[in-house]
Amino acid sequence: MKKCIFGLLILSLLLSGCWDRRELNQLAITLAIGIDKVEDEYQVSAQVVVPSVVSTTSTGGGTMVTLYSARGETIYEAFRKMTKDSPRKIYPGHTRMLVVGEELAKEGIAESLDLVSRDSELRPDFYVVVAKENTAVNILNVTTPVENIPANKMFNSLKMSDNAWSGTKSIKLDELIEDLVSEGKEAVLTGVEIAGNQEQGSSKQNTESISPSARIRYDNLAVFKGDQLVGWLTEYETIGFSYITDSVQTSVKAISCPNEGKATIEVIQAKSELKGKIKNGKPVVNIKLNVEGDVGSVECKMNLNELKTIHSLEKIYEKEMQDNIKKTIATLQTNYKSDIFGFGEEIHRSNPKEWNTIKNNWEEQFSNLTTNVDVDLKILGTGTIKNSLLEKIKD
Amino acid sequence: MKNVKISSSQFLVLVTLFSVGTSVLIVPSALAAKAKQDAWVVAIVSTVIGLFIIWLFCLLAQWFPQLTFVQMNEKILGKWLGKVASLLFVLMCLLYASTLLYYSATFLNTHLMPNTPMAALNILMVFVIVMGVRLGLETIARSAELLIFWFFFLFILLLIFITPEVKVENIQPILESSPKTILQTSITLLEVTAINAIVLLMIFPAFINNIKQAKKAFFIGNLLSGFIIIILTFYCVSVLGVYSTESELYPGYELAQRINIGGFIQRIEAFMAAQWIIALYFKTTLYFYGAVYGFAQIMNLKEYRSLTTPFGIIVVVLSLIIYPNVVYLQDWIATTGILFSYSIGLFLPLLLIVVYVIRKKLMKQI
Repeated sequence: MKKCIFGLLILSLLLSGCWDRRELNQLAITLAIGIDKVEDEYQVSAQVVVPSVVSTTSTGGGTMVTLYSARGETIYEAFRKMTKDSPRKIYPGHTRMLVVGEELAKEGIAESLDLVSRDSELRPDFYVVVAKENTAVNILNVTTPVENIPANKMFNSLKMSDNAWSGTKSIKLDELIEDLVSEGKEAVLTGVEIAGNQEQGSSKQNTESISPSARIRYDNLAVFKGDQLVGWLTEYETIGFSYITDSVQTSVKAISCPNEGKATIEVIQAKSELKGKIKNGKPVVNIKLNVEGDVGSVECKMNLNELKTIHSLEKIYEKEMQDNIKKTIATLQTNYKSDIFGFGEEIHRSNPKEWNTIKNNWEEQFSNLTTNVDVDLKILGTGTIKNSLLEKIKD
Repeated sequence: MKNVKISSSQFLVLVTLFSVGTSVLIVPSALAAKAKQDAWVVAIVSTVIGLFIIWLFCLLAQWFPQLTFVQMNEKILGKWLGKVASLLFVLMCLLYASTLLYYSATFLNTHLMPNTPMAALNILMVFVIVMGVRLGLETIARSAELLIFWFFFLFILLLIFITPEVKVENIQPILESSPKTILQTSITLLEVTAINAIVLLMIFPAFINNIKQAKKAFFIGNLLSGFIIIILTFYCVSVLGVYSTESELYPGYELAQRINIGGFIQRIEAFMAAQWIIALYFKTTLYFYGAVYGFAQIMNLKEYRSLTTPFGIIVVVLSLIIYPNVVYLQDWIATTGILFSYSIGLFLPLLLIVVYVIRKKLMKQI
């Protein structure tokens, strides 16, 4: 008896398996998904890695990825229809990017997001972007240098620019959904566009010249109202948005010198605090921005050895940043009437009772909202040199 | 069978695992659906109320230190009325054992093994449960002592890894919901953590070697599990936000999915799922034990072990047929299930206490 049980135990170690096993050679690993709307139907495209090309070290063979695309009445249907074309089942577990076509974004993205959050194979940790003035298929159809897999290129360059420049905003699916359902906050997404010749973008030759004829580039920020795209912010406004919502990690900003010419402030740390209040029955939001930075470059004549100059640089930066933020808020209040900053949420947090009375006409309240902006810059260093060489150059 | 005794520390482990049971996986979602960002406050409130219910159970246990709940029923309510009450109790245990099986199978089906038939998963699980119950209470208690270490290890690991993702703004404004909503919502949580702990009266006090200490263990175990649920609910709401917490079927699993430390420690949710399987196993086993042992005592059988296999088969079949889908299950739990639990887990013990006190007074007068 004991021997029998022992034998069974040994066997169970060897013979165990999983009902739902799927081997690697049965999967089409998808790194980017694009969704468009074409004549009442959804068009879903999937950028799939070609394993044989990725695994070989030589530069021969075709492109690293291939694009499958199918149409269907719903997104899920289109997804499964792709198997008509693809030899393996699309596996979206490693998705890094979701690209939404501009047409679809204008009609509303909520329907498209249901599947991606319902399906168990997808994880909500990929970035969502909008194809600016283009379709998602076209965006996914461009090869990229440096990072050979376009989806990885898009992922990393969004992460990098968000980190070092703040003129874009990386939004993951869960953050997007949270923004869409939240009362008192509207969603934003970064735009992605093709620069150059779109037709030549899909071939491998595109990456073989030093400056490719087609590139994928991030630009502008899409403003949503509800789940519909209502407009785009300029880069200047996007930076203002990043500062207000405390999503700046590092950045640089060009400011004018006290006399003439330009200087750059390298922002090392930026922290913004929103405080919502109700004053005389009207909502007021105070924005306090604390920035620490270095003098990044000086392209004008001034004496950096004097404390006075540093102070005046701080003043100029504070003034210009304040303008930037105020202009950004004004654009959204007048042009789009969309509260992408989460001012409503902030008032909800600080005054839950009053929020209940004003939340029904928040759109109107937002466009008449008073904001007080206070910027404080501390310059910590001047880089590796003190005065600019411009000081020594005789006119 | 009469000489089986477990220590109070073993009982503590069983109480904790029982009360945590299903709660860790699904409760945050149920709480957030009504109380929004105050879900964790509800968890605190219901843990406190839960202690009163445990006190009620302990009161009963003190009066009859040698009897199980089924025997108490017969002693207090009389032979036939007592047997009817006990049958209802056994039915509840059986029903919840299969409900939990259904739970664990749907969880595995939705997240990990979408194409595996539920029957296969349930049969495997019941096989282990029947094995545990056949081997007896002492074996169950000892294996619980071993596995609770892993449960806490994984739980603390989850907390450490997810802490960087916490956003305090998600739980503000605190206490926006009215006290009425908070109390109403806590009824749901009370059901799974405290009310259903009536099943533990099949072990306590009859099979405990030190009743005084075990009483303490009952309270501490309940507090401990309450603490786990409070923390988990807090983390769910503050990491996932209110909307995701209430719309996810299994917010606890979603929480584990969000773990990402430097792009290095990530995608470990299947590993984390082990803690829920451990808790689910012990909760199901205790329900099953209650059903089998209770039925044996109703029928005055000398040996309960012969019942385990047939009951195991019944539980598997029940788990496959009672709930056609997840929506039905949630609906059932919110309406019928909650009434059933409260009538067996709260009304019945109250009735026993009242009847016992009246009978004692009558006896004195005579």
